[in-house]
Amino acid sequence: MNDFSELENELKKLRPAQPSPVLFERVEEALANPQTAKIIRPDRFRVNYSALGFGLAAAAVLLLLAKVNTDRRQEPAQSIAQNSPAPETKSLRPADSVANGIDGLRSRNEFIPARATQVVYNTRDEGLQFTNPSERPLRRLRYQTRETWQWRNPATGASLRVSYPSEEVVLIPVSGQ
Amino acid sequence: MKDREEVMENVATHEDWKCCFSEVAPGLLLFARQWTRSPADAEDIVQEAFVKFWRRNHTVTNRALLYATVRSIALDFIRRDTRRARRETDAYADTESTIEPQFELEDETQSALAAAVDSLPHDQREVLVLKIWNELTFAEIGSALGISQNTAASRYRYALAGLKKSLQPQ
Repeated sequence: MNDFSELENELKKLRPAQPSPVLFERVEEALANPQTAKIIRPDRFRVNYSALGFGLAAAAVLLLLAKVNTDRRQEPAQSIAQNSPAPETKSLRPADSVANGIDGLRSRNEFIPARATQVVYNTRDEGLQFTNPSERPLRRLRYQTRETWQWRNPATGASLRVSYPSEEVVLIPVSGQ
Repeated sequence: MKDREEVMENVATHEDWKCCFSEVAPGLLLFARQWTRSPADAEDIVQEAFVKFWRRNHTVTNRALLYATVRSIALDFIRRDTRRARRETDAYADTESTIEPQFELEDETQSALAAAVDSLPHDQREVLVLKIWNELTFAEIGSALGISQNTAASRYRYALAGLKKSLQPQ
């Protein structure tokens, strides 16, 4: 074939060392017991429920607080409008005055999204896994992040901020390794 | 889930894996030894790779993927422990030639040949190990190592040329 055929034959005469008999027993045991071998099952859509629950709970509490504050601020305005003893004012432009009052309160109590950040503070490579019948293995990366959401009231300058930990698992197809 | 458990039982009791494993294990160990300094570590890697691969495929017809799995697990194995990674990296950088492929040597000629193989650059030795002792095609080697078929063939030729040069009498 080439100048190296003799050398190739010499190389083929070198015999790699045989594995220890214990290795066969270990493989047999691992195949027999699914728990002993660390087969990573596909969990592309696994959710960190604790982080998700915490985040949702925090968001719900903040929305509830925002609603309570809104209700409290609207109460005096409504009572003033209903009990106003000035018939002139009401008779002149009652609809406008009521509408302006409510709109003003709404704008004062309205929080608009101001900022959203996601900080990845830890990345862990969890190795190779097989997720589907295709022949390409997937590498599993786990990202631990902290997500922060912030709302701001442009009228009052008040702001709300929610921050919670999060975890994301990403599978990346590996080609040839 | 129940089906999977049944499959696991069938695999565990099936004898085919022993036939396949006894055939490929020496070559796999030799391949894995390139990233480890101890035979025990290499056996750990081969065990994990073979079990994972066999459970998924129930055959070793796709040899490129099997060796790619060994390689990936070997690299993961090194990364898993920081101290181990540092030790392996240092050892690899300082004394690359000490990570010897393990052979059953019969005479001085074979010892010299094994030493010459040991002195090859890592990328060439990797291809040589897959080609000579694992009998992979260049296409399979390219697939296993993530390189092109031509690159694999080129490295193989460089490896043989290097061996020939180092074995020539001075």
